[in-house]
Amino acid sequence: MVGYQKGNMDDFTALYSELEQPLRRYLWTFVRNGSTVDDLLQTTFLQIHRARASYTPPRPLKPWVYAITRHVALMHLRSQRRRHEVTPEENLPEVPIPPAVELLGDRALARRMLMELPRPAQEVLILHHMLGLSFEEVGKVIGTSAGAAKVRSHRALKILREQMAENGASS
Amino acid sequence: MIPAELPAALREAISADLKPVRPLSPLWRRTLLVGAVAVAVLIAVVTGRSLRPDLATLSMVAGWGATLLELFVGTVLIGLSLRESVPGLALGQGAIAAAVGLGAVANVLTVAATWLGSSWVAPHGLPFTAGAVCSRAETIFGIPALVVTLILVARALPLRPHVVGLLAGFGAGLIGDGINHLLCPSSDLRHVLVWHTGVIVLLALLGWAAGLTWEYYEARRA
Repeated sequence: MVGYQKGNMDDFTALYSELEQPLRRYLWTFVRNGSTVDDLLQTTFLQIHRARASYTPPRPLKPWVYAITRHVALMHLRSQRRRHEVTPEENLPEVPIPPAVELLGDRALARRMLMELPRPAQEVLILHHMLGLSFEEVGKVIGTSAGAAKVRSHRALKILREQMAENGASS
Repeated sequence: MIPAELPAALREAISADLKPVRPLSPLWRRTLLVGAVAVAVLIAVVTGRSLRPDLATLSMVAGWGATLLELFVGTVLIGLSLRESVPGLALGQGAIAAAVGLGAVANVLTVAATWLGSSWVAPHGLPFTAGAVCSRAETIFGIPALVVTLILVARALPLRPHVVGLLAGFGAGLIGDGINHLLCPSSDLRHVLVWHTGVIVLLALLGWAAGLTWEYYEARRA
């Protein structure tokens, strides 16, 4: 990031390679459409470029990057709501799920249940359990305290557990 | 995992504007800069204008103490707005509520100091004129800190501009009120609440509304 701030294109390319997959995974939390995710990913990197001076090393890079990504996604959702647009949702077989969710049982069921959770709950699970952010970092990304992020994650896992138990019993 | 290839359009857009940038200075330094501007306005006012006639009869705490308290808390609020304007440093709702509460307490203490410590009341027929003079002065004293804050905010990327605007407006209002506290001798609670506290509330609301407008246009552009 420091080299990129100094104007080195190779460092930007390296940053893109490193962040492309995790950001794509995070964007799936907001938008369930491949081409829209591609567009939002590009917009995110353009925003990262625009805001590159606001990153101050040696502060952790992840909260800074995910906060920008979240903003891009939320702005997209807001503008979509304003225009009353509906993006067709796609199945997400290739999107990995957090290990904590995977441990709850059947993988396919866990993925389906995860995707049915409310977005704020999903977001915390993905940021913490899959993308490796600490609860403090998650709080800084979504604008809550670390404690509130932790509580949200525990509640989400509890709901998932209950839903999976219910679903397992009924099937 | 196969390393992702940079899309051509993105590469082109980034290459076209790849000038080196200087990272933002640390938060404490940016906050200190705003605090220094507030102190400079205070010094200019103290040296260039006649202070409230009852300043000598007010206790040190009720006079200078209240001013310095509002200046300090105003600067803290602006520091929080500068923090909020950097991605990845979002304040929690509790922290925002605590900051607004802290600002309100600082103003209540200043209002109480004026109310308890002074006895001057605007003569009948004068309240509006006196109020207009006070609110104008308060706004003018708060504006330099607000302008510097906005310049610093513009260098970052505020993701919740309404929060940044609310805190920056509130902080600038407190700074203006703190300085004006050394000039206005009125102890009339109606005058102080409407024309002093009113300006603080107005600046905070203006900042909040400006932030919402910014967000609205950003969402339209998205």
